[in-house]
Amino acid sequence: MALRLVFLAFTSLALAGCGGGNSATNAPNVAGGERPKIAVVTNCTDPFWDLCEAGANKAAKDHNVDLLFRQPEKLDAAIQMPIIEAWVKQGVNGIAVSVIDPKGQEEDLTRIAKKVSLITMDNDAAESTGRLCYVGVDNREAGRAVGRLVKKVLPNGGTIAMFIGNNSSANAIDRSGGVLDELKTPDADGKPGTHPVKKDVTGKYYGKYFLVDGEAKTDGGPGEKAVTNARDVLGRLDGVTDICMIGLYAYNPPAILEAARAKSLVGKIKIVGFDENLETLKSIAAGEIEGTVVQDPFNYGYKSVEILAAVARGDKSKLLGKGQTPYQVITKDGGPDQTINGLLIKFPKAVDFEKKIRDDLASVKK
Amino acid sequence: MTRILGIVGLVSALYAALLLTTPSARDVGNLMDVANLQGQYGIITLGAALVIIVGGIDLSIGSVVGCSAVLFGVTMKSGVHPYAALPLVLAFGATVGLVNGLLITRLKLQAFLVTLCGMFVYRGLARLIGGTVSRTWVTDPRDPTAHPEFDTPIRNLRSGLVGKDFLGELVFPGEFILLIVLALVLGFFLHRTAYGRYWYAIGHNELAAKYAGVNVDRQRVIVYVICSTLASLAGMLLFLNMPSIQADAGGSSWELFAILGAVLGGCSLRGGEGTAIGMVLGAMVMPVVDNFVNLNGMKSDGIPAVIGLTLLLGTIIDELLRRRNAARK
Repeated sequence: MALRLVFLAFTSLALAGCGGGNSATNAPNVAGGERPKIAVVTNCTDPFWDLCEAGANKAAKDHNVDLLFRQPEKLDAAIQMPIIEAWVKQGVNGIAVSVIDPKGQEEDLTRIAKKVSLITMDNDAAESTGRLCYVGVDNREAGRAVGRLVKKVLPNGGTIAMFIGNNSSANAIDRSGGVLDELKTPDADGKPGTHPVKKDVTGKYYGKYFLVDGEAKTDGGPGEKAVTNARDVLGRLDGVTDICMIGLYAYNPPAILEAARAKSLVGKIKIVGFDENLETLKSIAAGEIEGTVVQDPFNYGYKSVEILAAVARGDKSKLLGKGQTPYQVITKDGGPDQTINGLLIKFPKAVDFEKKIRDDLASVKK
Repeated sequence: MTRILGIVGLVSALYAALLLTTPSARDVGNLMDVANLQGQYGIITLGAALVIIVGGIDLSIGSVVGCSAVLFGVTMKSGVHPYAALPLVLAFGATVGLVNGLLITRLKLQAFLVTLCGMFVYRGLARLIGGTVSRTWVTDPRDPTAHPEFDTPIRNLRSGLVGKDFLGELVFPGEFILLIVLALVLGFFLHRTAYGRYWYAIGHNELAAKYAGVNVDRQRVIVYVICSTLASLAGMLLFLNMPSIQADAGGSSWELFAILGAVLGGCSLRGGEGTAIGMVLGAMVMPVVDNFVNLNGMKSDGIPAVIGLTLLLGTIIDELLRRRNAARK
């Protein structure tokens, strides 16, 4: 048996050594007529990323690119990184990543950025990693837009609860931070306390708003937990009026709505969301959700592939500067464009935006 | 022997398909990545296979992996030196196995239920003690509660056990080598000592083993302790290898990969069958399939189905080969 095991070890090592493939060091620019190989990896699987994939596919056609697109099954850097490492070994010309844990992944992304053209999208990493640019909205500003929606639907204050996938990724920190920045006042900036009606519910006060448990509730990604989190909070707030539930990842607003339906609270509580989940958009049109702040993931996919294809062909003019991607605010009735903090922000109607999304998806066969 | 030939054929066919159809898979770095993934799954497969040989099952493996990874990070963050944290977390794994084993043997609870409950308990424990843990979280010099002095020992552990250099580049498949060493040790016990004979006997016919004088309960507890200790080791390797571990997701579903590897490698779920070499080969299957779908840019939606169908096909071929050879005898 021992001999057989030794034989196996040698066989495996021989297999490991039989490769004579190319090393992926400093992925070279592609020659004139060659098709660059571009890879895009998201942070999890979600309809939000289907839109991104559609955009990436369209750009791949428009810019003559071989595209690898992966939606990892879980919101977990330990699942995402092996996918990226395999692509680096494969010698792709460029990689776009929605970073899950910017701190934890910093070292690996820095190493990878030295070998392959690397950009971040949706969720940024530190500039020190050497990533070429970030394709995405300023999540802090977008979070503030969510905060303004909350103020609009609960002008006299009330109880809020926030829901998100995790509390560690850059977009999560910035989005929830942006909401609270908008709501806080100098005398109530995260002041701990108990709920004015439900004394057993603890939290923090931000201006006129009481945040249940003092922080965003995390669910680890799309799934049943997102619904149960919302349902549990609604159960604890039974009998309380002026509630606004805030879903900060794409799947959170439909999950909150599902929980509200289960408790017959649709229309009695306010729901404000983030991202353009089709269910969210339909519910805004139906008056069940007040509004959502969207990022245009179709454009994330398109831009990411377009930029990396250009870089692979030696053109760096497409690289984006900081804050060049504006968010949009979707409500049932829409509104005129506004310039907010230097960004031109659009306020489309939910039905119009939903049609745009469906057209985007239909434009490219998935 | 037939089962070994079947799994050798399957692994060879998968490697041939990967190397012939995907030129980029031949890169030495890529093959080392695949080997390391095989080591990662192989270590837990050894434990799962042993439990299966004695006629048991352990569904808590994945949660113990995740919990151990989080515990390793949290222990170091609390100031315990990485070299001391490692045996502490191994001791945690051994304790989990001891609890599982005692509940199954003393209280006569079903292994399926005990370890299913364990799956929830240790996942919950991981979430209670920490959310997301990472090397950076433990050693970040910008964080006053962190321990930057642990950076070098952690990198040393990563280098020795995982095979990654200072910058995180994989320079040798450390986890695969570790798997081979562990398989040699386990193979020695399984095939060359009385312990192995006890384990096979218990799996074949527990009552007969008892009448033959084997302390069945003690042997079962030993096997569960080995299984959970190996899961703890895999958890620490996961921590060292990956940029970060989420308590919710770290090691999730790994018990299924381990059981699948053991069964593909020739272990019968009825107990009493299995070899160390088979366990290693069984664990080698899935990473090759995974690498194939990664490098070929398959659509995200189809990947789980492709992996599942490939593994099912492998299981069917293995079973047909076994039946054909049994009929010839």
